[in-house]
Amino acid sequence: MFSLFLENFRISLSAVLANKMRSLLTALGVVIGILAVTLMGTLISGLDRSFEKSMEFLGKDVLYIRKFEWFGNKEWWEMRNRPNIKIKHADVLRDRSQYAQYVAPVSEWYTSVKRGENDITGVRVTGTTDEYAMISTAEIDKGRFFSNSESRSGSRVAIIGKDIADNLFENENSIGKKLRIGNYTFRVIGEVEKQGKFLGMFSLDKQIIIPIGTHQRLFTRRGWTGINVKVDGTQMDNASEELTAMMRQLRHVRPTDENNFALNKQDPFKEQYAMIKLAIGGTGLFITILSLVVGGIGIANIMFVTVKERTREIGIRKALGATPKMILAQFLMESVTICLLGGLLGMGLAWGGSLIIDQYFPSDMPLGLAMTALGLSTVVGVVSGLAPSYKAAKLDPIDALRYE
Amino acid sequence: MSMISLKEIYKIYNVGGEEVRALDGVDVTIGENEYLAIMGPSGSGKSTLMNMIGCLDTPTSGIYEFEGEMVNEMDDNQLASIRNRKIGFVFQTFNLLPKATAQHNVEIPLIYGNVRRDLRQSMAAGALESVGLGDRMHHKPNELSGGQRQRVAIARALVNNPSIILADEPTGNLDSKSGREIMEIFDALHQAGNTIILVTHEDYIAKHAHRTIRLFDGKVEEDISAAA
Repeated sequence: MFSLFLENFRISLSAVLANKMRSLLTALGVVIGILAVTLMGTLISGLDRSFEKSMEFLGKDVLYIRKFEWFGNKEWWEMRNRPNIKIKHADVLRDRSQYAQYVAPVSEWYTSVKRGENDITGVRVTGTTDEYAMISTAEIDKGRFFSNSESRSGSRVAIIGKDIADNLFENENSIGKKLRIGNYTFRVIGEVEKQGKFLGMFSLDKQIIIPIGTHQRLFTRRGWTGINVKVDGTQMDNASEELTAMMRQLRHVRPTDENNFALNKQDPFKEQYAMIKLAIGGTGLFITILSLVVGGIGIANIMFVTVKERTREIGIRKALGATPKMILAQFLMESVTICLLGGLLGMGLAWGGSLIIDQYFPSDMPLGLAMTALGLSTVVGVVSGLAPSYKAAKLDPIDALRYE
Repeated sequence: MSMISLKEIYKIYNVGGEEVRALDGVDVTIGENEYLAIMGPSGSGKSTLMNMIGCLDTPTSGIYEFEGEMVNEMDDNQLASIRNRKIGFVFQTFNLLPKATAQHNVEIPLIYGNVRRDLRQSMAAGALESVGLGDRMHHKPNELSGGQRQRVAIARALVNNPSIILADEPTGNLDSKSGREIMEIFDALHQAGNTIILVTHEDYIAKHAHRTIRLFDGKVEEDISAAA
């Protein structure tokens, strides 16, 4: 039986190669379908990795007390009119909360940073305390974080992100060197390890961390404030409840009024992400199914033409002893060969595409998906080849031999 | 003993509501190592009879026994198998696969007979050599002359060592010289012990055979054995 399989494969290949253009056009639907499914899979796997990394930045056990909700349907202006988060409340939460492990107030402002001739605009300058280092998942790469006393005093010390280090201190050691943040001179005492982009939107490395006392004094009333609280990861719900109650009390919210602050965490990101993933997956799947169905119809059509063209050959083969099943197998093999070649071409294109996507965020084509794609091509080949092959198998040898 | 026995064979077609009796009660027996010519004008049923003997077609009614096997009761798979094992066809238009080499064309019956590749290749080469095409094995049909093509077809018919060789107007598309060469091959095959059935309307071709069956309107009109 194996020799027959080989013979069928040989016939298929030579038939496909004899009509290169026709085969290519025929397989186009499958090419697009496989391209869509593999690109989509590659995209999702890349997004997954990028998302996981971004979520790592937020931390799964950190609550972000802010004026604005990260997600939800509150009106923007309504949130804008809320009173700002007060830095001093951070101390109160730390003293009173049962669940808070570390509490760090943060104050952010965007400004330009300069050193000699070089400058970078739009750098995120975060003012915070030493506890920020305990809450953040990012490690200090070189140097050190500032101390408790430095964070309270107005020390002009800075911890810089990798983008800043790479651009302003190309091959030098930045530690101990000076740079200008806005109009003020600071001394670099540490560098944060490379963190990459947050959800592919903005670089986490284009940031500078300075003591909150200094930030308040130099950049206060500009930018926004918040409090980051790290809690016991197993007690997220209790901690949320407790902190909400405390914040309501501190901000004098009346029992009948809604919260005038937000307690943000990473969970809604995950929910949002799951929806985005579903949308991408759904769209990809829709395109895939559509093009595979259309492609399958095209292949069925061309296979009918092939059977017609090769009626005489079918007659000869039958006269020489080919059974209906053998003829069926021959034409099914041909249809599967077209689809598999189309599938391989689609995968090749997707692989090229993934290299391009990889420039924007890390991605690679999952092996399992490649196998699925090939399996899918085979299925399309069998399904669309079935009717024409059956027709070939059922041909009467005498009529087929007489066919001109 | 008879190798092929056709009893009361009818083949009736329905063409536009009208009954056409292509074979109208044919009784023929053919023995081993016979050299038989089937003749008759067009429409006499000789092609139908050849298709019937070649197991390409089954009768509407009647009994067809081929080496003890009841062909008239066979399904498509069994018919394919008996064609593969016991019958070698030679057609007027050669019917070679245009994209395959001579060697590969000759191998096709062996592929369907599930013969191992190495054995297949040596058998095909042997068959081509026996028809004098040992040096043309890797040529494609369009690189061969008409006579050479027909010799490839004969090699293909021989390669499975069939019980009968069925040739339908084997010289019809050939010039007279090539035709003579082909008939010499058939004569030699008969000498070597093969059973050969020729379908022809040319008397000089039929003269090579030792027995002639003439059909007319689906009936055997005449069945003459020449004195050997």
